[in-house]
Amino acid sequence: MSAGVGVDLQNMWIKFGDFVAVREANVNIKGGEFFSFLGPSGCGKTTILRAVSGFLDPSDGKILIGGNDMAGKGPNERPTALIFQNLALFPLMKIWENITFSMEVKGAGKAERQKRADELLEMIALPGQGDKLPSELSGGQKQRVAIARALCAQPDVLLLDEPLSALDLKLRQHMRTELRAIQKQVGITFIYITHDQGEALTMSDSVAVMKAGVIDQIAGGKAIYDDPSTAFVASFVGENNVFRGKVKSISKGYAVIDTNRTGALRARMATAVKDTLKPGDDAMMFIRPEALNISDKKARSDTRIKAVVQHSEFEGQAYNVFLKGSEDKEMKMSLANRGETRLYDAGLPLILDYDADRAVALPAGELASE
Amino acid sequence: MNKGFMQEYFRRNGQFMGWGLLIAVGFWVIVLIILPQISMLDFSFRNHLPPPEMGGPKDVYTLKNYQYLIFGAENNPEAYNRVDLMVFVRTLIAATCVTILDLVLCYPIAYYLGQSKGGGFLRILVLLLIIPYWINEILRAFAFRIIFGDSGVINEFLLLFGIIDTPFDFIRENVALYAGLGYAYILLMIFPIYNVIESLDRNQIEAARDMGASWTMIHRRVVIPYAKPGISSGCTMVFMLSAGALAAPQILGGPSSLWFTQLIYQWFNSGGNWPQGSAYAVVLLVVCIIIVLTVMRLFKVNMGDIGK
Amino acid sequence: MKTESTLIRVGLAIYLLMFFTYLLGPLILMGITAFNSASFPQVTPWEVLTFEWFHVLFNDKRILNGLKNSFIVGFFTVILSVAIGLAGALMLTQIWPRIRATYYTIIIAPILIPGVVLGISTLVFWDRINVMLGFSDDSFLHNGIFLTVLGHSTFISSYCMLVFVARLQRYDVGLTEAALDLGATHVQAFRKIQLPFLMPAVGSAAVLAFLASFENYNTTTFTFQKYPTLTIELAQKVRYGINPSISALAFIIVCLTVFFALVHEVRTRRAQLAIANGAPVGAVKGGFEMPKFFAGNPAAAVLALFIAGAVATIAISQVYDPEPAKAILLKEKRAEQKKRIEALQERLRAKRLQKQFKGPDIFGSGQSKVPQPPSKTPFGNVFDPGNLGGTDPNAKPKDAKTPESPGKGTFGDVFNPGSLETTTGTGDDKQ
Repeated sequence: MSAGVGVDLQNMWIKFGDFVAVREANVNIKGGEFFSFLGPSGCGKTTILRAVSGFLDPSDGKILIGGNDMAGKGPNERPTALIFQNLALFPLMKIWENITFSMEVKGAGKAERQKRADELLEMIALPGQGDKLPSELSGGQKQRVAIARALCAQPDVLLLDEPLSALDLKLRQHMRTELRAIQKQVGITFIYITHDQGEALTMSDSVAVMKAGVIDQIAGGKAIYDDPSTAFVASFVGENNVFRGKVKSISKGYAVIDTNRTGALRARMATAVKDTLKPGDDAMMFIRPEALNISDKKARSDTRIKAVVQHSEFEGQAYNVFLKGSEDKEMKMSLANRGETRLYDAGLPLILDYDADRAVALPAGELASE
Repeated sequence: MNKGFMQEYFRRNGQFMGWGLLIAVGFWVIVLIILPQISMLDFSFRNHLPPPEMGGPKDVYTLKNYQYLIFGAENNPEAYNRVDLMVFVRTLIAATCVTILDLVLCYPIAYYLGQSKGGGFLRILVLLLIIPYWINEILRAFAFRIIFGDSGVINEFLLLFGIIDTPFDFIRENVALYAGLGYAYILLMIFPIYNVIESLDRNQIEAARDMGASWTMIHRRVVIPYAKPGISSGCTMVFMLSAGALAAPQILGGPSSLWFTQLIYQWFNSGGNWPQGSAYAVVLLVVCIIIVLTVMRLFKVNMGDIGK
Repeated sequence: MKTESTLIRVGLAIYLLMFFTYLLGPLILMGITAFNSASFPQVTPWEVLTFEWFHVLFNDKRILNGLKNSFIVGFFTVILSVAIGLAGALMLTQIWPRIRATYYTIIIAPILIPGVVLGISTLVFWDRINVMLGFSDDSFLHNGIFLTVLGHSTFISSYCMLVFVARLQRYDVGLTEAALDLGATHVQAFRKIQLPFLMPAVGSAAVLAFLASFENYNTTTFTFQKYPTLTIELAQKVRYGINPSISALAFIIVCLTVFFALVHEVRTRRAQLAIANGAPVGAVKGGFEMPKFFAGNPAAAVLALFIAGAVATIAISQVYDPEPAKAILLKEKRAEQKKRIEALQERLRAKRLQKQFKGPDIFGSGQSKVPQPPSKTPFGNVFDPGNLGGTDPNAKPKDAKTPESPGKGTFGDVFNPGSLETTTGTGDDKQ
């Protein structure tokens, strides 16, 4: 059990009439992994979750849980438990009844259920609150009750559908740590749905980034952020400065891209496109704001960018400088707060540079909505 | 698609619940609603036969029952069955009058209730509105008989003040009937209108008033167009129910003016001629439906608005 | 502008007053007639306060039998309609979108179809089934209860359906899914999650169904066969003869309705107040707190008044037992008056008779002639509609019951409105 039960989606399609909600999903989720599906709303991630939990059947392909084909099995026959976006706590039942509902339907006695409820309430740090109704709890407490209710069913796989989206920022950040801790503690597979890249990156072992029914990339958080495999992933996860152009030349894993407005710039080719990107292809180059620096003038000319400060702001951990390059190309630079003030006056001309290893060259593609 | 729907249906409800639902709804729609209506339609085309001859050679389809309504008995000297047709037309006209009466009576109060801000007084008013509706239909009609009778309150009152010197026969003049029918369906007119007007944003009225619109203007251009679904829903129900009323005409109707439902009743009970009664019932049903559909088409409202 | 708004306000007040007079006046007047001793339900020539019509009502076998049948029919109709209405509403939430509108039209239609048509079609259809199955005429398919329950359920299910649809709109399907996901079967998810949520709607639908069944006439009149319901019995009485025992029944029904309406109002109001004050729903179920209970709850005050009134009325009716005697006293006073006049006439006549025969039987002949003088009471003829053909059948039972007040029977006749049925009607009630 501690090894966990894996989930495999094999060539799975889900269609509603003519609308393709999920296109050819192939995902291998290892047992005990914290796996996230990340994507904008409407990308089909919730559909995948509902298919895994058994509320709808894939139009094609297979879902395996622990190696067993789930075709034809209803949600009550699958070793999964789902935490709903709105939590779906039963409003007329007390907290302890909510938590032990899965035992009640299997005919467990009241004493046994109450004992188990007490244990779980202890675990979610709500001891003695079992006799309240869901409406008497705060948002964060409801959240934890929903988790306890799902865990009480002793699922092999816990599915979470954007459960933190209704909470305020502080609580959300706190719950991230808590969720991760709970997952480590119980050791079962978590499949997590979110549109918040921060949540996905902080908690997950692996992240699948989705766009309009298609999974663009499956990788660990660092790889998703630093080595995206499509323009969409690069633009959706975190902030990025985008430069469009054509590939001019390629050498040793680096590409020089002749950008439309800023001239030739060098970037590392993303792992996924190393072998496919060719000179002359339409390409995009991505540089994160924190990868840009004010030039020390020693940098190579193909990693230098001239720009004029528009305005700058202080965000706490960093200073953000908004600039305009040639032909009004807008850029953002983040300078880490190391103690000295780094606010620049509007109109100040600067020369920026970057480390070519921290810039990514990818084939041109659709960006996340700007 | 259809097969997919059924599959999805059973996935969502499970076998047991799924079949349970299907059976209950099927029983209702088919056994309680559709088949009896078809059966009545079928019956209306048959000859009136004593039980032993049913299914015999004489048990054939005929238009006789409908012909009777239009042309009367075979030896009828007149071209048409004037008596029954007149009753029919009078019923429809009277039902229309009752509907209009109720609309005029109820629109202001529905508007008042719908646009008030709530509070205890309003709740009491709503309570008062509902109470008469839970009193038996017969008893409501009976109450009007007490009021409008020869020695009823109104006659006594009028006599006392010397306005009249002999009791006025409200029952013969059908005043009692209209009052009673209108009374019976007040609530069915108020609530659909109230429900719609309640959802009308007060600001729209304020805005119209700011622009200098008069009260009649506000109602004609803002409130009534908005409340149209409620109004037509209320009118539909009141019309259908008063055209199909039986108790009130039996109790409050004057001796000379029959209601069409009373003719149907006579065919079934005293006449014992079921096919003839069925034919009359079919005519009533069909004509009422046609009228309602026409009015709904005219005012551009659809069926989904009914019953809200 | 200001004058216009006051004008509107005054107009509104008058309109509201008239509207509610129209709405409640008839019921109040009918209630009052239950306490008037006149044998026809009437208010204006007020005779004497009496509770006898309640006794008449409670001893009326046909009313009691009708009541029993109404309850049986109501019971089965509630079960059938609530179940069907619930199924119909659940089906509406998930039916194939393309046939949804048609489906809705079909299940809403019974509300609009005239009641007589429903009654006839039910009767005709089951008669046909009966013939097809070769059953005899007294099979259960011809049973009045069976037919009435089906006839009622046809349209009452639609009412119930509407109640459930309204409630289901606020139901989160996610709750059922959550239950399924936690391992519940579909039946368990329905029974433990969805049904408890729908329970208030089940309650209102059941009440609605019962009341609708209880007061239905149009459909029942074709289907009742050998089992007349209360409404049918009432209709018979109202059509063929009236006495105020029906008013007494109406009075009781009105009182019960008002009572339950107020109780309901108080309870919802209390729950609202509690929720508004931030109290959890669970706490609302707790005990009564008298002073707070009245605060901001006008219905509660009215309810209290109402209960007090009811208790007082019942108490009076108990204490009032000697009161009929008082009524008789009053009448005897009038009768004495009359006797005095008659005695005067008698003396005059006696004088004439003495002149002719010198006969000894003054008292005997005098008394036997009393019931028939042409102008019995001072104001008798004023209200006489001139249609007093059958006086005697009405007078007899009264005379038998209260032999010491010969005036009462004649009194009753004087105010007889002259509807021909009355004579047979009162006779009926005594059986």
